[in-house]
This record gives sequence, structure tokens and C-alpha cells, in this order.
Amino acid sequence: MIKNKIGALAGCALLALGLAACGSSKSSTSSSSSSSATSSSGSGTISGAGSTFAAPVYQQWASAQSGLTVNYQAVGSGAGITSLESKTVDFGASDPPLKPADEAAIAKNGSPAVQIPMFLGAITISYNLPGVQTGMKLDGKTIADIYLGKVKTWNDAEIKALNPGVSLPSTAITVIHRSDSSGTTAGFTGFLAAVDPEFKSKVGEGKDVQWPTGTGAKGNAGVAGAVQQTTGAVGYVEQAYALQHNFTYASVKNKAGQFVAPTLASTSAAGQGVQVPANLGIKIKNPGGAGSYPITSQTFIMVNKDLCKAGVPGGEAAAKNVVKFIDYGLGEGQSVLSRADYAGLPASILAKSKAAVATLQCNGSSLGG
Amino acid sequence: MSAPSPTADQMARFAVSPARKRKDRIARATIFAGTVIALVPLVLIVYYLLRKGLGSWSGSFFSTDPTGNTFFKGSSIGGIKSAILGTVEIVALASAIAIPIGIGVAVWLVEYGRNSWFASTVRFFVDVLTGVPSIVFGLFVYIVLVVGTGSSYAGYKGSFALALLMLPVVIRSAEVILLLVPAALRESALALGAPRWRVIFSIVLPTALPGMVTGVLLAIARAAGETAPLLFTAAATLKTNFNLGQFMNSLPVQIYSDVTSPTTAVVNRAWGAALTLVVMILLLNLIARLISRRSRLA
Amino acid sequence: MARLPDRALKYGLTALAALILALIVYFFIRLVGEARPAFAKAGVFGFTFDNDWNVNAERFGALPLVVGTLVTSGLALLIGVPVAVATAIYATELCPLRVRAPLTVLVELLAAVPSVVYGLWGIFFLAPKLQGAEQWVADRLSSIPFIGGGAVTIPNYFITGLVLAIMILPIVSAISREVMSTVPADHKEAALGLGATRWEMIRIAVLPYCRSGIVGGAMLGLGRAIGETIAVTILIGDAPQLGRHLFGQGYSLAAVIANEFGEAQGLHRSALFAAGLVLFVLTLLVNGVARMLVLRASRGRRPRAGSDRAAGGGQLISETVAGA
Repeated sequence: MIKNKIGALAGCALLALGLAACGSSKSSTSSSSSSSATSSSGSGTISGAGSTFAAPVYQQWASAQSGLTVNYQAVGSGAGITSLESKTVDFGASDPPLKPADEAAIAKNGSPAVQIPMFLGAITISYNLPGVQTGMKLDGKTIADIYLGKVKTWNDAEIKALNPGVSLPSTAITVIHRSDSSGTTAGFTGFLAAVDPEFKSKVGEGKDVQWPTGTGAKGNAGVAGAVQQTTGAVGYVEQAYALQHNFTYASVKNKAGQFVAPTLASTSAAGQGVQVPANLGIKIKNPGGAGSYPITSQTFIMVNKDLCKAGVPGGEAAAKNVVKFIDYGLGEGQSVLSRADYAGLPASILAKSKAAVATLQCNGSSLGG
Repeated sequence: MSAPSPTADQMARFAVSPARKRKDRIARATIFAGTVIALVPLVLIVYYLLRKGLGSWSGSFFSTDPTGNTFFKGSSIGGIKSAILGTVEIVALASAIAIPIGIGVAVWLVEYGRNSWFASTVRFFVDVLTGVPSIVFGLFVYIVLVVGTGSSYAGYKGSFALALLMLPVVIRSAEVILLLVPAALRESALALGAPRWRVIFSIVLPTALPGMVTGVLLAIARAAGETAPLLFTAAATLKTNFNLGQFMNSLPVQIYSDVTSPTTAVVNRAWGAALTLVVMILLLNLIARLISRRSRLA
Repeated sequence: MARLPDRALKYGLTALAALILALIVYFFIRLVGEARPAFAKAGVFGFTFDNDWNVNAERFGALPLVVGTLVTSGLALLIGVPVAVATAIYATELCPLRVRAPLTVLVELLAAVPSVVYGLWGIFFLAPKLQGAEQWVADRLSSIPFIGGGAVTIPNYFITGLVLAIMILPIVSAISREVMSTVPADHKEAALGLGATRWEMIRIAVLPYCRSGIVGGAMLGLGRAIGETIAVTILIGDAPQLGRHLFGQGYSLAAVIANEFGEAQGLHRSALFAAGLVLFVLTLLVNGVARMLVLRASRGRRPRAGSDRAAGGGQLISETVAGA
């Protein structure tokens, strides 16, 4: 009785909501099915999915767009690529560059895949050692040994050798790593594998590895929290996080032999020395250059070269708006980054990204600009 | 002949021995202690939530959408309006799907299927469904309705995932309650000539209603608080949206993504949102309880 | 006459039940399809019982995950069900009338807390607070394998089990309470009238009557514990090795899916679906065992010799209850 009444009320409410949505002209999002409507730039909705690392940046850029709504879903780089492959979204976002298999799968939609580097981020080695200031010097081998469990206390000979004159306590090192699959882990282990053969063979690199020692915490926040709560802890934390919370982090030795702190400048510099393949699938791994911070990674936006031909869900209007969004990101968006402690692309790569955008098309006619 | 009054001897035999009295006291104390233990985490959690979340509450917190504008100190990061509305819409649709279907299946199981092999099979599969991790429901909807059809994330897809989550809970709890409705009630109604359907709708369901309301409320509370099924289905959008066919924000997803942000203000917003969600579910509980109580008296 | 609505209802509901069955079967089939590549690589038993989950090397053996799921859910039941039943008993039988409704609301308030909040509260508030006590227990009991010895990490099996127990409290308690409130008054009055103490009355007249209902509630609680994703993900850490001790990290099937799905592709993804399937089978087995136990218990509901001092009264109650 009453239950039926509640059910009926609920049904009516839903019906009303549905009708309101259909007829609403003040709804701020346009239905993706009515894409034939407008071709004028400025008003519309585009959708993207992928990297969780890049999510805050894309949301920030989205909030600066007037009249354009960008719906971004942070499902992870892998799921982002899948979403683009299955035409679930207008653009995909990923931290690691596309594997050949992924490029082929995206191309199946009728147009080759284009990946555009958007910005860079560094991974800091943050630690919790009262009495020891920020800027402890560490090199790749020592960090690898810590994470392999070979270096167990802070006053170990290896660490002492790099930091003469700093009084190091005998506290035990509590190693913290990520428990979830992440590009941050991939970047971190990529660096260690490149500089330490033992780490490479014992642990390897990837978004998810078998850690020989240490405690797992979920997300950057988890690792950061664990480091803050445990004296003697060390963990790898995204740069934006570490900078905004004033963590103490290490200066890491780069390929050129310099100990570099993870500043925004040193992060962008890291991109400078990197080999850029034809498909722009850069992978920053222990880069050269005197001022480069060695543990840096990149993130991309992926689209099909001819968005309309490939069948983006938002249609022609969405294709135009995606390009508009990427243009913003490569333009004004780069200056916005530094205020949030993310690093922009170095000039050389930025130029290549812009060039790639210029090649984007809609049914043959160029969109880029 | 009336029974003889008990002798002192007989009275002594039935008197409560000290051993039994002791057992009784110990048992009651243990039960009381158990109840107190159950309430301790509640107090701790509520205190923690209030401490971390109350500070974010304000008028604009509820009336503005979250902005992505989190980089610039001093700029507004917005409130959680779209998350609240999204949760209401998604959960409402999920409930509208799961509750009638769930109760329908439970009624069938108790009234018609009973112990037949078919009913046993249904029960078996529903039981299996109770142990599925919430994220797998989302993944199922993801591969069938998102990747499978090549269409975008949408609010109603999140509702499907949540409905799948709610279904076994509703069916199981409704079945337990319906089984407790005395057969005598049904039989006397049937004997008076009422048709089967009438007996079910006028006698069985109303009697079972208060118990079923409890089970249903628990299912809704669970669905409202689940993040994992929505991650790959409903997607998140910052703007308010009344179209369930579009990306739709929701409180658990907003909380989940905000709480890992490096910006302190955003983390505070997450806790404010968590507190909001708890209050919303509690209000729903109270309202439904009031309604069901009134129906019992009527 | 009124035949048509009757038939319509019967066939309608039957069709509904069949539809739901079909949906669940389809659910299964779809997931098996996605999981097949992983099973093909290692074999079904290989996947489930191999003790080696190494994503990078593309080796997927789920034993540590299975054990982690069982340990945490078992803990949740062990801690949660007695407390929940105690609460239900108190609320229906022992507490003053005025306290009953507020108490009920309070316990159900626990259900209003979203799982992500449980995880965060557990890791930021509860785990650090309990770390000291856990270390104390681990040190004292260091001779007992698995429980004692070793360092206490912040994410660990125990804290996961504990928070899960809190999460299943409301549902087990609510169902137990509903079931207990339907015990016919004459059963209870008969026991009391024959001189049983309060506790004896509960033990004789209430609990046996409610046994299968309580088990049903506990099964729902177990299902919740096994399937809980987000809170477990936050609280269990991520050591895909067979946990060496209770206060160390572990992993669970649901947590591995949540942690790895976003970034997983190809074989890895199908391994995660396979993990989900293993979870169903797990629930199946546990449910089956529980049903068997309940069946056996209700069949053997004969009065046992010497179970009550007031032997005559006890027998009468047992017969009444058994006959109900």
C-alpha cells in the first residue's frame, strides 16, 4: 500500500526529471546525440577519460573554458586508452606512450592515432627524518638499494658517502610504495631500472611491481600520509603533492652527475634532452642534461588524426572543441601549470606538440590551429 | 478437579538456583557489553566526520557545483551541488529498478517457487551474487554497456551497476522476512475466499512491510555509498546534469577523487561531502521509518 | 472470476524470476569470457592456487589473494556476528522500551557511512591508534604462528577484518532483530512461565527459532565482507604474498581488481576478471557450507539430556519449538 505509493511517487518524480531534462533549455550540458545542431565553437560538451595524474590539470583547464564543458573521467591510463578505442569518449589521456598494439587498435576506428605530449611531472623521493633538512643527496643506486631492502638504516655507509657533513640518525628506514597500479610507480621504477641493473633484474619496471620490501599505500595521498606518520619513512610522491605540502625531499643525482632538486625548472629541463620519436611517444627515463631532474615523466592526450572519420561520440562539434581544448592546454594552459606545481613542456617538445595538433582533421578538412 | 497448590518441596524444585542466576547475569552483562561495543565505532566515526567535515559546510557548499579551479589559492573550488543531485538521481533510478524486481522475486520464491528445483537454482545464483565485489558489477556494466556498445559513460549505466548490487540484498532480506509471515494468516484469508493475488497484496506484503523496509533501506544505504561500481560507468562531471543519459557526478566518486588531491581545500571539500552523504542517508532512513510506522498503525 | 489476475501474477512473477536467473547467468558467462585468457594460460587450478602474483612478469597465481580474502572475511564474521547478534538480543529482549528505537537507529547509522569513508577513517584514525596495541599482542603471542611475531604495519589483515566487522554489523543486526521480533509471544511466555531466567528464555525460545534467519543475515554480512572493495583496498596494503602474520600486509581479490584495473591491459585485465570469478566460487562454497550446517542443526533439534535444570519445562519448550 504505502510502499506502492512511494513507488508511484518515485516513478512520477523520475518521469518528471526525465521530461525536464529533455525539454530543458537551461541545462548546462548538451546531449551528445544532438551533435548535428551546432557547429559554432564555444558551446558544447566534450568527454575524455584516462590518466589520474593529469586529471587535476585537465579539470583546471576545463574550468577556464567559457561555454565549453569538458567531462573528464579519471579511470586510469589503461582504461583511458580502451575508452578511446571503443569510441566511448572524444579524447583519451595516458601517462605512458602508446604501445604498438594500442596504436593499431585506435587506428581501427578509421584513422591513425595521434599522441600529443601535454605536460611533465616529477617524482620526488620524500622522507620523514626530523633533524635532516630537505635536499639530502641520493643517487639512483642508493635509492634502488633502499627499495631492494639492502640499505636498512639512515646512517648506512652508502647514504653517508653521498652526504658528508650531514649528521644522519640510525633510524630504521621504512620503505613506502604505491599499492595501486600507477604511472608514478612506472616512472619511478623506470628510473631505478635504468640506473641499477640489480633492481632491473630483481624487480623490473612497470605500473605494478613485486616490491621486495616495504609497505603499500593507496594513491599519492596514501604514500604521503604514510611518510608523514612514520619517522624514518621514505616514499616516492608526485611533485605537485610534495611541493604543495612542503615535504622534505631528496636531490637526486642525474646522468650528468649533478644532484638536482625536483623544481619545476629542473623538470622541464628533463624533457629537453629526450629522444623524440616520430609518433611523439616520448618516454623520459634518466635523461641527460646538467639541470635535469632524473625522475620525470610525461603525459599525453590521444585522439584519432581525423576525429570525425573515426567517429567521436560528440560528432563534428566535439571534434572542433577537442582541438580548442588542446590548443588552450598547449598555449595559456602551460602558464597555468606552474601555479599548481606542475611543469610545462620544454620549448622543443611544445613546438612538436603544436605541430601535431595542426595535423588534426575532421573528415579531411583541417581543424588545427 | 482443580490442581492441588504446590508444596514447598515442589516450589523449591522450580526455584532459580544461584548457578542459573549467575549465568543469567553474566549472559546479560555480556550482551550489554556487546551492544556497547557495537556503538563505540559509531561514536568515533561520527566524531571524526564532524571534526573534518563540518568546517566545509556553508550555503554555497550545497548550492554551487565543484569547479576544477583548484590551482589558484583563494579562488573558489565550488561546492558539491552536482554530486548531491547526481547521487539522488542515480540511486533513485537504481532503487526503482532493484526494489520492485527484488521484492517480486522474493514473493515468487516464497509463494510460488518454494522448494522446487527452479526456486533452488534461483536462490543459489542470488546467493552467489551477494559475494561479488562491488567493482565487478561496475566492470560488467562497463564491458556490456560502455565498451560493448561503444557508447559513452552515462548516469543510468551507473544505476544498473548499483541495481545489480542491491538486488541480492533486497531479495535475500525480503525472503527471510516473508518466510516469517505465519502460514495461518495466508490460509485463513484463502479459506475466506480471497484470491491468491489479493492475499499477497493485502495480507502478506503489509505484514512483512516493516521488516522489508529495513532490508530495502540497508540496500539503498549501501548503494548510495558505493564508489567502485560508478567509477567505470557513470563517470564524473563537474556540472549539474539532469540527464541520466550523460556523465553524472556522484558523492562517493567526488569524495574518492577529492580526498587524494594535493590541495588542502579540496580535501576538506571531500570530508564535507562525506558528512553530507551520511546525513542524507540517515534522513532517508528516518523518513522511511516514519512512513512505515504510520502504515502499521493505519 | 478472479482467476485471471491470479494467473497473471503467477506467470508474471515466474517470468521475472526466470529473467533474473537469466541475467545472473549471463553475468557469469560474460565474465568467464573475459577471464578465459588468464585461465588458459595457467589453468583454473593453477590460477587459483599458484602462489605468485607478478604483474610485470605476467604471472598470475591468486593464492595469496584468496587467502587474504578468506582471512579478512573470516575475521569480520568472527568479530562482527557475535556483536551484531548481541545487539539484536539486547534491542528486542533486554533493553528498556524507550531505548529500543533510538538504539535501532544508531546501529543502522553505521550502514549510512560510505565504504570509502570507512577505509579512510580506518587508515588515518583507527590504524595508527591501534598500532601500539597490535604490536603488544604480536610481541606477547610471538610463539603462536601467524598471529604473533613480526612488525606491525599500518595496513594489515587485522585492521581490515576489524573495519569489515563494523561494516557488516548493521545488516546482520537488523536482520537478526527483525527475525527475533517475530518470535511468537507464547513461546517466550511459556518459557518464562515455567521458571526460566531471562537468558534461559532467550536461549530456549528465541535463538533456536531464529537460527536460520540469523544465519541468513550472517550470510549477507559475509557476502558484504567478501565483496567489499574500496575499504579493503585502502586498508590491506598490497603484499601479494601469503601473509606471514596477522598484523602484516596482505591483499585480497577485490582489492587487486580495484588497484589494478585502471591501468591493466590484455592478459592482466583478464586475470583481474578471473579473480572476480574466483570470488563468486568462494561465496558459493561458503554459502553452501553454511546452508548445510543450518540444515543439520535444524534436523537435530531434539531435547538433549541434562540441558536444563528444570528438565520438565525444557522438554516442553523444545517440543513446542520443534513442532512450530
